[in-house]
Amino acid sequence: MQAPDNVPYLRGVGLCKSFGHVRALQDVDVDIYEAQVLAIVGDNGAGKSTLTNILSGVFQPDRGEISVNGVPVQMTSPHVARTLGIATVFQNLALVDTRDVACNLFLGREPTRWRYFVNRGRMREDARRVVDDLRVNVPSISAEAGQLSGGQRQSLAIGRATSQQGRIIIMDEPTAALGVKESRKVLDLILRLKANGVGMVVISHNMRHVFSVFDRIMVLRHGRVAGVRRKGETTPDEIVRLIVGADTLSPSGIGV
Amino acid sequence: MSNPPDLSGGFDDADESVAEALRRETIGAAQQPRWQGLVRRSLQARSLITTLVAIALFIFFSVSTDRFLTADNLLNILRNLSFVGIVAVGMTYLFVAGELDLSVGSVFGFLTVLMGFLVARNGFDPWIGMLVCVAVGLAIGAMNGVITTRLNIPSFIVTLGALTAFRSLALILSGQNPATTEGVGFFYDVTGGYIGGIFPWLVAWMAAVMLIGGLILAFAKFSYHVYATGANRDAARNSGINVNRIKVICFMLTSGLCGLIAALIWGYLHVAAPVTGTGLEFRVIGAVIIGGVALTGGRGTIYGTLLGAIIVGIITNGLVLLGFSQYFGDVATGLLIMLVGALDLAVQRAAARGLQYFER
Repeated sequence: MQAPDNVPYLRGVGLCKSFGHVRALQDVDVDIYEAQVLAIVGDNGAGKSTLTNILSGVFQPDRGEISVNGVPVQMTSPHVARTLGIATVFQNLALVDTRDVACNLFLGREPTRWRYFVNRGRMREDARRVVDDLRVNVPSISAEAGQLSGGQRQSLAIGRATSQQGRIIIMDEPTAALGVKESRKVLDLILRLKANGVGMVVISHNMRHVFSVFDRIMVLRHGRVAGVRRKGETTPDEIVRLIVGADTLSPSGIGV
Repeated sequence: MSNPPDLSGGFDDADESVAEALRRETIGAAQQPRWQGLVRRSLQARSLITTLVAIALFIFFSVSTDRFLTADNLLNILRNLSFVGIVAVGMTYLFVAGELDLSVGSVFGFLTVLMGFLVARNGFDPWIGMLVCVAVGLAIGAMNGVITTRLNIPSFIVTLGALTAFRSLALILSGQNPATTEGVGFFYDVTGGYIGGIFPWLVAWMAAVMLIGGLILAFAKFSYHVYATGANRDAARNSGINVNRIKVICFMLTSGLCGLIAALIWGYLHVAAPVTGTGLEFRVIGAVIIGGVALTGGRGTIYGTLLGAIIVGIITNGLVLLGFSQYFGDVATGLLIMLVGALDLAVQRAAARGLQYFER
């Protein structure tokens, strides 16, 4: 376990967001630490996506404050968030299918020579190092992203987020479209990144995957925090009850 | 209901039988290399196939006609495709960025008239005329690009409008009366003349533009962003790439090159007719598509475009040598564009189906 009193890298306080009449998020507080995995779970429409989009700079909160290392910030775009060390792996992965692994890893920040030209050799070297360090499972750094399997694409997207000096990586359903073996590889990658000091936010529907990686778990329900639990202090059953709002039920379960 | 409901299963959407999952994984693993191989091979094969088609056409016309395989005729082919080839470089950037420009023929015509207007009717030095034409071309490209990106109107529509507008402007500016020049001097030597009395300067201009354009497209950081913009605009934008700026620059490049060929055709023909460049967009886009630049953006090389232009040039020239009317050249090119477009899309769809299959 991490020391509970260290400073969160990314903190959101009192976050609110409405879309028309729909109050997607109400007074949500969230702390994200380095070298920790925060899982965010909740039913459809509980506010997971809204919260993720706020933390990654896609949406601006209507109310509430976001701070990085204790300094209040305005994250006006995912690019701004990235410059603050917060990288997001979106569900659509944002890969350029017609370009190779190396190009995708260094998209938008290609190493250059003579200022205007890409230093292809260095880019491939750096790409190979990233792929080796993280054991990202791609067949070759010159394979086109469009030719990779779902798990390989996921690993590539996570690898890119990490190699962009991401201190915090937000992952939206990282295992949703993957088979068992590929999911395993992605979860292993998450644990390795944690060991390297990277903080992560993992949004998932999959309890088994969540329980294999999380340090803290946050349950959203109807746009509010239904509860935050630490690893070892909770069970999948309790989390499920929090998700469906059955936490006050008697053990008999009447009333669900 | 007296038992607590078992809710955990409902959230575990990957809670599938391990055996079944492993079976699927195994099938996937077996399929993967085959499909990947197919996709990769078909993509790499694209420039190879284009090269082979060009060689085959070359051999066919060399054998079937007497006059095809002569230095004069080959240089003639290259000179005739130099205008198409130069603009096709810009069009390649634009296609890779996921846009297109239908107005190149009209802009070329308008700028040619402007060249005649400046040089023949107002006594400007032709080099100044060339600079002005390129500058105005860049401005027209910027206009097309800004309208496309800022107002979010498809470039097809914007440049279709520009196609009509600039052809009419050409007619207005010329007074429907072509300007002419005697064409004496250094400018006319190095545009319409011949190096050593044999090698057309126009071909040298095309070679220079293609070489520089090809090197930049292959190696410049800017070009990496052009590919990213065309293949996945959102990904590019999320990575901090200014996709609108990229597209505007590609539009400017294309129209700027129209300014260059306007000056070159003035130096070559010594006439600025308002109908100059009619149908150029067809030959340019044809060369680009035949050369393997993806209609959907994100893929293409200047080498492919050069081959595409050469194939169009060889067909046009060879059919005339075989005794067909020169208009059959465009018929053949049109058919070839349809054939190539259909084949490229078929390969892409097959590849997409293959990927979906093994991911599922």
